[in-house]
Amino acid sequence: MLEAPDATDLLATAREALLEKLLPALPPALHYEARMAANAIAIASRATAADPAPAEARLRTLAGDAATFAARIRAGEFRPGMPRHAEAAALLAEMTRLRCSVSAPRALRGT
Amino acid sequence: MDETRRTALNAWLSQAAGAAVEIGGASLLSGGAIQQNWALSVTRGGGAEEWVLRTDNAATLAVSLSRSEEYALLRAVFAAGVTVPEPLFCCDDATIIGAPFFVMRRVAGTATAFRLAKQAAAMGGNAELVRHAGREMARIHSIAPPRGDLAFLGTPPADAGIEFIRAMRERLDAAGTPRPVLEWGLSALERNLLPPLPPVLCHNDFRTGNLMVQGHAITAVLDWEFAAWGDPHADLGWLCAPCWRFGNLALEAGGLGPRAPLLEGYGPGADPARLPFWELAGTIRWAVIAADQGARHLSGQERGLELALTAHIIPELELDILRQVEALGAGSA
Repeated sequence: MLEAPDATDLLATAREALLEKLLPALPPALHYEARMAANAIAIASRATAADPAPAEARLRTLAGDAATFAARIRAGEFRPGMPRHAEAAALLAEMTRLRCSVSAPRALRGT
Repeated sequence: MDETRRTALNAWLSQAAGAAVEIGGASLLSGGAIQQNWALSVTRGGGAEEWVLRTDNAATLAVSLSRSEEYALLRAVFAAGVTVPEPLFCCDDATIIGAPFFVMRRVAGTATAFRLAKQAAAMGGNAELVRHAGREMARIHSIAPPRGDLAFLGTPPADAGIEFIRAMRERLDAAGTPRPVLEWGLSALERNLLPPLPPVLCHNDFRTGNLMVQGHAITAVLDWEFAAWGDPHADLGWLCAPCWRFGNLALEAGGLGPRAPLLEGYGPGADPARLPFWELAGTIRWAVIAADQGARHLSGQERGLELALTAHIIPELELDILRQVEALGAGSA
């Protein structure tokens, strides 16, 4: 229904224009802001491709929602040696990897 | 600075110095969101001196120390031998230049963390600089309560570790965004609490970006806004947290050098066994600060790219936290 190019393509094209055409023409004092804008576009573009559904389904099964999960961890559930400690640790790792794949994919290198 | 204020400042400085002070030049060095720093070129009794005047911006946040409190801290740490600009005069009277201010001697050097870390990595770690950082920290920590001149720092916590966990949970609750990984980290800290140590003065933001350096020497330890009574290992752990290494993961001390010369420079009193706890605490603290900065953007209080992107640092910090929790658990088992 929507016209192509889609969001991912548009964001990638805008980012390329920003870094290759606009940035060299900007005064040095604005380079940092321009690089931040390029970084924001890259994060937004990765966010459109991310699929949180599997991790959310696992979260629902284990603890309901993120707020309940956080509260139950604070209350002392899921500690080492307790039931479902390993499941909670694995879910946190999965959620964090998903979040990093959008916000900081370089951090996942070598993991 | 307009002519009227400059004249008033000139007269006030001459009286404070007990000698004729002439301001030859005044230029704005940096205007942060909260403070302004002015470079003053002066003559005092005929001799040329370079000073910095630090004052508040019009819109001052209540969260940071007042200028006179910051001045009191600088005096205390300067007297303890910490490398900071010599504090000279403090003025609580807001009518002189429009806000309270203090004046300190200007020091040489630059505070550019990325460049420092890059240089250190190229030489396989700068042990000399890191040893110096350890010495500076030990001098800061030589200041212990009670201190009448630092009464504004409040009552020291009975147990800095317990107090840290409480304060972080309070901030997470106030922010309202559930953060299971940060809770996971705090819960691990709770399981691995250390016997409390007598409280000392902690800088609480002792990282590479707050070190002014010339050559291989620290010329000033900057930014005393977060100073408080606590466990000395909180400063060591903050500097060594993985998030402050600028990609030089093997150079644990702020991406500048290994832990060993830091502890060597620090001398007796640093217990390496307490570092994993405080490095994890440091990572959690930075994540909580980043979350608060992102919230300033999200709430519309102060919208901007830098704040918006700071929130996106959190997932990487969470990855660090999960690793550190695992290592802490393995160490204590």
